[in-house]
Amino acid sequence: MRPAAVAAVAAGTLAAAALLVLAAGASPADAFVALLRGALGSSAALGETLARSTGLVLTALGAVVAFRAGVLNIGLEGQFLAGAAAAAAAGPLFPDAPLAARAAVLLAAPLAGALQAAPAAWLAERRQVPAVLSTILLNLVAAAGVTWLVRGPLRDPSGDYPQSRALAEAALLPPLAAGSRATAAVLLALLLAAAAAFVLARTPIGLALRAVGEAPRAARAAGLPDVRLRVGAFLSSGALAGLAGGLEVLALTGRLYDPFTAGVGYTGIAAALLGGMSTIGGAASALLFAALGAGSSALQRDAGVPSSLASIVPALAVLALLLARGERRER
Amino acid sequence: MSDPGAALELNGIRKAFGPVTALDGARLTVRAGELHALLGENGAGKSTLVAIAAGLLRADAGEVRRDGALLPAADARAARRAGIALLPQHDLLVEAATVADNLALLDPAAPPFESAGARRARVARLEERLGLELGPPGARVGELPVGVRQRIAVAGILQADPGVLVLDEPTAVLSPRETSALFRSLRARVATGRAVLLITHRLAEVFEGADRLTLLSRGRTLLEAEVSSTTPEAVGALLLGGAEVSSRSGALRPDPPDGERVPALAVDELLPAGATGPPASLAVPAGAALTLLAVDGNGADLVGSAIAGVRPARGRIRLSGRPVPPGDPRAFRAAGGAFIPADRRAEGLVPGLSLAENLFLRRPPGRFVIDRAALAAAADDRLRRFGVRARGPWAKAGELSGGNQQKLLLARELEPLPRLLVAVHPTRGLDLASSSDVRARLLDAARAGAGVLVVTADPEEALELGAPIRVVYRGALSPPLAATTPLAELGRRMAGLAP
Repeated sequence: MRPAAVAAVAAGTLAAAALLVLAAGASPADAFVALLRGALGSSAALGETLARSTGLVLTALGAVVAFRAGVLNIGLEGQFLAGAAAAAAAGPLFPDAPLAARAAVLLAAPLAGALQAAPAAWLAERRQVPAVLSTILLNLVAAAGVTWLVRGPLRDPSGDYPQSRALAEAALLPPLAAGSRATAAVLLALLLAAAAAFVLARTPIGLALRAVGEAPRAARAAGLPDVRLRVGAFLSSGALAGLAGGLEVLALTGRLYDPFTAGVGYTGIAAALLGGMSTIGGAASALLFAALGAGSSALQRDAGVPSSLASIVPALAVLALLLARGERRER
Repeated sequence: MSDPGAALELNGIRKAFGPVTALDGARLTVRAGELHALLGENGAGKSTLVAIAAGLLRADAGEVRRDGALLPAADARAARRAGIALLPQHDLLVEAATVADNLALLDPAAPPFESAGARRARVARLEERLGLELGPPGARVGELPVGVRQRIAVAGILQADPGVLVLDEPTAVLSPRETSALFRSLRARVATGRAVLLITHRLAEVFEGADRLTLLSRGRTLLEAEVSSTTPEAVGALLLGGAEVSSRSGALRPDPPDGERVPALAVDELLPAGATGPPASLAVPAGAALTLLAVDGNGADLVGSAIAGVRPARGRIRLSGRPVPPGDPRAFRAAGGAFIPADRRAEGLVPGLSLAENLFLRRPPGRFVIDRAALAAAADDRLRRFGVRARGPWAKAGELSGGNQQKLLLARELEPLPRLLVAVHPTRGLDLASSSDVRARLLDAARAGAGVLVVTADPEEALELGAPIRVVYRGALSPPLAATTPLAELGRRMAGLAP
């Protein structure tokens, strides 16, 4: 997109947000300052932004990897839950060995995410079932699975609430700085974003993946292993979302409860869209959305604007983008 | 300025798509009662110009007049009300709907509720009136071959009885017999004072059937003339003007190389999915070519795509003696096969990738990481040698004109030299210069030792290739015919008549 269009999207989003703030009876300038302070104004605020960004960056990445291969994986939410559940199941198995617990989580979570995506990949390749449908349905299965797990097999017998047993305190990732919620998880997410960008743009397999995504019939006719590439992208996408769920447990919550996510998988797709389906763009949008989320509590506290308003802004940004990108009906 | 007899007049039309100027002040005048031919090389702007006339595109500058009255810009409904009907090259029919339903949709006089029987009757009526075979009325259009679809679209649009009928390359996929039937019906239209504008690459058609012609070149009008006042040679020279014509031509050896060599391709009882005819058996010697000639819808293109593995099939395929399982493009490639599909935009190239990436989809230079410098250099070299005109190796394949896209595809498929090249409709939609270049390269590949199987619907192309010809009619292959067979006999065989 041209810089002018990007500026127009940003301006449109800001203007619409300002109107909403006015409607809530507050000053847009105050709200903006409060939001900014809440997202970036202190080490704790910045830490909150970074902590929130881990899951968003990884799910956005999962969306990009799948979409670029022509796989419409809307199941990142369910794959995230599968990863979180696997982490909550595997982590407490090693109460006295924090490193082993971490390793178990980092292995089990991506694996669970990939397994959660596998039925949809099989249905798509063998039975021509659209991935959009199957992954949305599998999201419901995953959510129900979490509900069952925290009341059944994974339930912490010592607690009053339906939640899983906690990982050992020592197994959780330590904060990067005192008083900050950010951990090495966000660094891992950003590292993976850079790696995915490199693989897509500069390696033979990335080239093949893009070809299969854009012109599946041409790629197949040219002798590329189209089924293997699509399935590989689908499972990798699930693994990234699963890792996001695992890191959520390992870095932030320490356990699984219900409901566990407020739509991070869907927001990740929105971030990927806003980022123009590029890995770097998707990661940047994910950081932006995380900052909005972190700033929203300050919005309520300092400017008297309902914090839910901040969650409208990502949606506004995506709508503005689609509006700017949609061509006039003339072709 | 305005021509009093003009049924359709376009003046000073300009249109740019981003950085590419498609039309640069083009002019076109079609008079009432004439069959007007619009000629030009690939990318000359012909399709863009008629899309503007039909109100489908907005011109950046210029005016469109119908019977002297200015038409509102980019208003397809107004153009249709004014009696301008365009048959585009692609995308007129609803693929998921049946033949009968599509024809009903295109019939302005169709009642809002109509029985299935009445719709079927319409199909029969149109076949009768126009002399075109339209396929089973209950078949879904998307499942029919492209040639049949074209005939359905022609029949559909003629129902509205437009004052100015615009046809964008309607004859590319028609048999000689069907082409002359179409021309008869077009002549009958202009005799009643209606106007017909025809885009075509075939000069013979222009000089047999048209009254006047307009020649576009690079977005400008180069020539407007009465057909009787010029010659095919003069127009051909203008059309080729500037374009490099390959000097390498000449026919192949008429007979295959001596000795009992293993053929490059041996096909035994091959029945492609969706084909109705008998199973096909054929062989192509190494270092020689074979042409399958058929009107679209007779299964020749299905045989071609089944051999390349992109269409499931039953039967046995061997490349240089090595068995290749049907329906597996990778196995076909691994055995040394190369493929030029009929639909180069969907099955050949990846439009959003660069030329360099398209050329080296499978094995880009560099083992784990693509060596971009080496990739650009290798691509540059090939683009130059295959005469692809482009901004550079990083231009997107989708930006190229049809002729250059086909050259790009050849540059990918012919290097390294394959054991077998299957080329389906390799010159369809290409201008004269590009077509002769493509044919020369196919023959060069055969001379260098590859087996070459060409599928075409154009009998003149089959003769020009100089290789043995097998005519396919309803799936059945004729015995090999010499490339000296008279055109009339080929035409009869293509139409299923006794030779």
